[in-house]
Amino acid sequence: MNDNNPPPIPPAYNPPGPPGSPNTPRALGDDPQDTVSITGPLSAIEAILRHPRRIIYQLRQPGAGHIVFALLLIAVAFSLVYGVVVGTFSLGAQLWAAPVKIAAGLVISALLCLPSLYIFSCLSGSQARLAEVVGLIAGLLALMTVLLIGFAPVAWVFSQSTESLAAMGALHLVFWIIATYFGVRFLATGFAHLSGKPGGLRVWVVIFLLVMAQMTTTLRPLVGTSEAFLQTEKKFFVKHWIEQLEKPNATLPTQR
Amino acid sequence: MSTTATSLDEIRVLLRAQPHSLQDWLKRWRTQRLVWCVTIIIIGAGIYGAVMGAWRDALQGLYTGIKLPLVILLTTLGNTLLNGMLAPLLGLNRTFRQSLLMVLMTFAIAAVMLGALSPVAAFVVWNTPPLTAATRLASTEYGLLQLTLVVFIAYAGVTGNLCLVPLLRQWSGSASVARNVLLAWLAVNLLLGSQICWVLRPFIWDPARPVEFLGPEYLRGSFYETVFEAARRLLI
Repeated sequence: MNDNNPPPIPPAYNPPGPPGSPNTPRALGDDPQDTVSITGPLSAIEAILRHPRRIIYQLRQPGAGHIVFALLLIAVAFSLVYGVVVGTFSLGAQLWAAPVKIAAGLVISALLCLPSLYIFSCLSGSQARLAEVVGLIAGLLALMTVLLIGFAPVAWVFSQSTESLAAMGALHLVFWIIATYFGVRFLATGFAHLSGKPGGLRVWVVIFLLVMAQMTTTLRPLVGTSEAFLQTEKKFFVKHWIEQLEKPNATLPTQR
Repeated sequence: MSTTATSLDEIRVLLRAQPHSLQDWLKRWRTQRLVWCVTIIIIGAGIYGAVMGAWRDALQGLYTGIKLPLVILLTTLGNTLLNGMLAPLLGLNRTFRQSLLMVLMTFAIAAVMLGALSPVAAFVVWNTPPLTAATRLASTEYGLLQLTLVVFIAYAGVTGNLCLVPLLRQWSGSASVARNVLLAWLAVNLLLGSQICWVLRPFIWDPARPVEFLGPEYLRGSFYETVFEAARRLLI
């Protein structure tokens, strides 16, 4: 028995998914579409929606920095746009405060969770470099925000008709959950190609969701109005959400 | 004459919803086809809307005849981006234009059905006791009329969507992908469509308001808040 043998490479994790979806278990680069280069943000948006394996393949190639940059640019720009839609509910200062808070919240959440994802990926036997992990998180954020832009017209229609803070908050929360689901699915596909086991990723996803949920309370108010840009009182997000729901007829002041 | 015959032929193709015919439509994008679908929606849903509103007043009929197609078109427009994004994410790799045309086709089928059901709806409206000072929202005649008209709309909507299942299945090569895409489209269209209906109400009658296209108070509140409040009152 030779103890110097390298440890066996763990089998790739292939999350369940429909045939033809990004979760189909095939090696990266097998499909000619994987190797089509990504030239800019528009090309990155198309790739992340229609052919996510292309992003994952390109992230593993030398000089993938521009793709990561493009993905981050998409995430920041689109979260700012969605933030403006969120701000249209309260108008006034929220038109700039909400976009800033949402974009900052997303980026800060990702930064806070980046080290843990890298460590978890290493622990689960992945050979991924930090740059690849950064690229995957950037892809997750980009896909989330692209989907949020899809939801933006719906959110705008509701924000123009309802005056209930709780209803608008709940609606944005539902959109955020759906967008996060697809974002995490992209991350899982990428993680599978980094030879990671699913266990570590599942734990990380729970952590990431909790951090983002808490961010909605830390950066409050995102939907309603406030005299201060940020609230100083510390609060757990579950308590904050319950308080918002329990407020009788919580509506905006009379400016609308 | 030949144009009318061609339009009728196209309606027949649309209603049969045979995957190979519709696939041909979707593969070769033509603005003319888009305009045709929009026209079908305006005519079909417009006639049905006019019948709905006619119970109260001729002017209400005109307004509802405009508002019902408007609901469909605004819903399609508002969800274009989202529907186009959800399709590839759920495994159906189609372009935005194809997704848009598919959604418009489902609404066009529903509109053709509504147009066809209009004579029946008109018969129901004709037989419903006319609106008097004693009529209330809780009156039986109003309830029956409302229920019948809504059931027709729901039936047309569901049928329109189900017609496209074989096409979605053939394109995706998977029944589960076809089901997921259809359910996702239905969900987002229902979410936005019901709110647009709420904003554009009334479609039949509002006892508190005169006949008007869009009252100022209709922009307040949302459909889901009202449902939630009603459920809360019932349960608590």
